[in-house]
Amino acid sequence: KPPATETNPALEDPTPDYMNLLGMVFSMCGLMLKLKWCAWIAVYCSFISFANSRSSEDTKQMMSSFM
Amino acid sequence: MKNFYIFIAILFIPWSFSMAKYDEFEDGDDIMEYDDNDFAEFEDVNEDAVTESPQRIITTEDDEEEATVELEGQDENQEDFDDADAQEGDTESEPYDDEEFEGYEEKPDASPNKNKDPITIVNVPAHLQNSWESYYMEILMVTGLLAYIMNYIIGKNKNNRLAHAWFNTHRELLESNFALVGDDGTNKEATSTGKLNQENEHIYNLWCSGRVCCEGMLIQLKFLKRQDLLNVLARMMRPASDQVQIKVTMNDEDMDTYVFAVGTRKALVRLQKEMQDLSEFCSDKPKSGAKYGLPDSLAILSEMGEVTEGMMDAKMIHFLTHYADKIESVQFSDQFSGPKLMQEEGQLTKLPETKKTLLFTFNVPGSGNTSPKDMESLLPLMSMVIYSIDKAKKFRLNREGKQKADKNRARVEENFLKLTHVQRQEAAQSRREEKKRAEKERIMNEEDPEKQRRLEEAALRREQKKLEKKQMKMKQIKVKAM
Repeated sequence: KPPATETNPALEDPTPDYMNLLGMVFSMCGLMLKLKWCAWIAVYCSFISFANSRSSEDTKQMMSSFM
Repeated sequence: MKNFYIFIAILFIPWSFSMAKYDEFEDGDDIMEYDDNDFAEFEDVNEDAVTESPQRIITTEDDEEEATVELEGQDENQEDFDDADAQEGDTESEPYDDEEFEGYEEKPDASPNKNKDPITIVNVPAHLQNSWESYYMEILMVTGLLAYIMNYIIGKNKNNRLAHAWFNTHRELLESNFALVGDDGTNKEATSTGKLNQENEHIYNLWCSGRVCCEGMLIQLKFLKRQDLLNVLARMMRPASDQVQIKVTMNDEDMDTYVFAVGTRKALVRLQKEMQDLSEFCSDKPKSGAKYGLPDSLAILSEMGEVTEGMMDAKMIHFLTHYADKIESVQFSDQFSGPKLMQEEGQLTKLPETKKTLLFTFNVPGSGNTSPKDMESLLPLMSMVIYSIDKAKKFRLNREGKQKADKNRARVEENFLKLTHVQRQEAAQSRREEKKRAEKERIMNEEDPEKQRRLEEAALRREQKKLEKKQMKMKQIKVKAM
């Protein structure tokens, strides 16, 4: 009997992608406008994104988002 | 040589600027603008320079000096250099000497006193201090992060434990019913890994295959996001529970054509809106299952009454009544194609692909505060799944039912075709135009003029034939109409 190849579940949770984007936006804001709180929020966003991410995603990308 | 001169000129400019500034520093009043430390040497000379300063200031810029004077001692001098001439100022002060001689004396007396006033120490602003207080923001944030990380580790471990507890309790049953348990799809051939496939920190998959009537069974353990602190906090507001979703894909020949669903009323209403097949084939609202002895919490959505009659046999009713609290929804469908695709009408040209599927969604008891022991209570539900597979294979509609079902499906297809008629016409039109263009290009690209001529003639003849055909059709329609 053939095995299943479910790589993309029907309903994909967009949370990690949104959090990644938010993190990048906040980190840019924090850098350009020199706002400390922006940078902290960016760190939080990247943590949340990591927590919600799928195991199939690149670890390298995760590490770079932490940066 | 030219470059050298340019270089010298460029060097000269900043030097001249620095010299100009240095001139200004020699004025006593300007000194007060700048840091005392840099020009401490001028402080002693200040009072001596003050008397000379009026003259110098007059020659340079009066306005600036008047604006920047800060020393009390210089107030007298301000009066002096307000006048054009310093000497004149001295002479003018003579008439005042008699009247305000004492006052005049006091002033110099007063100024040293003022100079001896204690210096008020201003508190160093918080951000320049070097104590814990200035870092309270950082401390707060780092504490928050630590809390998040701890919650992540705890949540991840709990989900892991729950998943393995579930798998251990169900392993035997699954292995007895399926030849292949646990395949992550990484190898080309089907290999039984016998392990859960972890997709996420809160989602675990298991693919089982190798049973008589079904292609395979996908079990998804959808736990709550215990590893995400935000989710944990959100759940405090709105309690939710872990879910086990089972999707059995049936072979084409092993299931008849019907659409049927049973579950909590809320879940069915939601599914009816979301799912393509339920919305198209089950047009009625969910009916109460009390007729069949089901508890009030459960409702039934069905394509036809006959299907409900057939499905609701004694054993099924037994399962549903006993485990009603754990059942979220059960859906049997031969037209399953997933949730409704939110597409624009222009893009939908084909009906979505359908598969014969049995879907089960169970809630894990405990509503969030589950323990590994609760997994054992889900074992009977798995038996229900196995039983349903066999039942779906055995159940066949009678002739009437089959006709009704076929009519329904034809109706749905017709509706769909009507909707997309315009789009399909446009698509056909564009395809025809593409063909013509391709032909013309071919003709143009032909180098041999003879061949070109022949191809053109052939194209013309084809077009003429088409026109004639159309005209014939129109004539036929007219005749029929008459």
